[in-house]
Amino acid sequence: MLSLIKIEWLKIKKYPAFWWMLGIVTLTYPGINLMFYYVYQDIVSEKNTRGIAKLFLGNPFAFPETWHSVAFFSSFFIVLPAILVIMLVTNEYNYRTHRQNIIDGWSRNNFISSKLADVLIVSLIVTIVYLLTALSYGLYADTSTINRWAEQLQYIPLFYLQTFAQLSIAFLLGYIIRKAFIALGIFLFYNIVVENIGVAWLKYKANDIGEFLPFEISDRMIPVASFIGNFGKDAKEGYDRAVAAIVPHVLMTIALTSLIWLICYRIHKRRDL
Amino acid sequence: MQPVLSIQGISKSYGRIQALNQVSFDVPAGCVFGILGPNGSGKTTLLSILLDILRADAGTYRWFGEPGSPASRQKIGSLLETPNFYHYLSAVDNLNITQAISGRGTPADIDQVLEIVKLSARKKSKFSTYSLGMKQRLAIAGALLGNPDVLLLDEPTNGLDPVGIAEIRELIKQLAREGKTIIMASHLLDEVEKVCTHVAILKKGTLLTAGPVDEVLSNEDIVELSASNTDQLGQILSAFAGPSHIKRDGDLFELFYPVGTARLDEINKTCFEKGVALNRLLLKKKSLEAKFFELTND
Repeated sequence: MLSLIKIEWLKIKKYPAFWWMLGIVTLTYPGINLMFYYVYQDIVSEKNTRGIAKLFLGNPFAFPETWHSVAFFSSFFIVLPAILVIMLVTNEYNYRTHRQNIIDGWSRNNFISSKLADVLIVSLIVTIVYLLTALSYGLYADTSTINRWAEQLQYIPLFYLQTFAQLSIAFLLGYIIRKAFIALGIFLFYNIVVENIGVAWLKYKANDIGEFLPFEISDRMIPVASFIGNFGKDAKEGYDRAVAAIVPHVLMTIALTSLIWLICYRIHKRRDL
Repeated sequence: MQPVLSIQGISKSYGRIQALNQVSFDVPAGCVFGILGPNGSGKTTLLSILLDILRADAGTYRWFGEPGSPASRQKIGSLLETPNFYHYLSAVDNLNITQAISGRGTPADIDQVLEIVKLSARKKSKFSTYSLGMKQRLAIAGALLGNPDVLLLDEPTNGLDPVGIAEIRELIKQLAREGKTIIMASHLLDEVEKVCTHVAILKKGTLLTAGPVDEVLSNEDIVELSASNTDQLGQILSAFAGPSHIKRDGDLFELFYPVGTARLDEINKTCFEKGVALNRLLLKKKSLEAKFFELTND
């Protein structure tokens, strides 16, 4: 695996889109969180009961809530690394290097493993950006809770798993469709439009079976940050339900992601390249 | 001696189109083996199967006596169909990847192969800025990397200018002299004729013939002759016993003999004794082109 990673690095290190993605992610992840940080500031400054209610929840950008809130908001931008992942696989078809790598002496499994390594590494980079962002907000938002930094650290592996799971879906699309723009189009349209509408609609019409849609499965590992949730009398109940759903969704996410990679290995072993 | 490559009954179809039908032959070590055939005869399909790019429907192949594997491919310098490289990387960076995957050669050898294909001056330019001929040269450099004992080249002179074609031919001959085994697919007959020691001819996925060039091509010796007195020469020749048949084309006669039976000195002597001085006397092997058309025409 290490030799595969070294070879992937030879491919990636001079690939401009990789550095662009890294640059954009390092700007947008702190940026989107800054936006919601101001939203939160506005809410607590409101002189009404709603604002006071939020106060009881504590600052979502202070430790330890920052791990959760920043994970939730950052996950909106999965499309950025997804573009890179799709490019990394469709480039191989475009340049026909998916054949050349085999001709030069990789096995077909080596090829898929190298792409698996790419997705794991891109997920890791994104997670590091998330981690640094969450850490910075934690240190900045409220110095009085710094001693609670080690609570809720489970959101770090959860964010990593969510990123990896959703990028794996992006990879599958790129791998099967082979054309970058079509794969990207389908990914964006499904991820941003279809599934969101689907989940919302199914919530009311079909007993919330939208939770089993491909992105929603991993989305629900990180519940909606509490301060932007709907607060009615069932608020507490809804939040508890979301937290209780984390473990089953972790298991479903692992199952779906494993299935995706299994499919890729299987197809690649048999098909003409 | 064990053949470098042994192909047994390989078949492949794309839907209803039978691209290869029960193809079998061996490639002996140290030969230059040409795979010939018109467009769409299955040459590239066959080579793709040998490199695990395509899956055969039936049949087997063995490299170096072993079933095809990543390890066997690493030992073969291959160029299949088109030069396949990362567009945003330079020649050197691309060959670094070839070197890392194949394990052939060292990073230091990269400069050397780029020198052989005359790309040194542009070795740091991006692949996307290369002309078609330069891309082809880089692909040849990739195949040569690490000085492999076996080379598999699919249309190696594709996209090259006449000088480039001559250079690559010379390179192939030189590699053959060094004892390398070279397997080469081409539809350019003179290319194969000039460099190959062995040949296999494919037509619509079926192997028509395979073997040493001399055996495949020369089932007849052709003696071409002429004299200033054409009619008298014609009379003398019609009395000859040796040739299977005689063809006249203007002033030129062609005598067809079974392989190895034409005796030029005797023909010359007989004509002279009967009062005709020849101004042309030439033994020709049947040209590959003629043989090729004979074999591939319906």
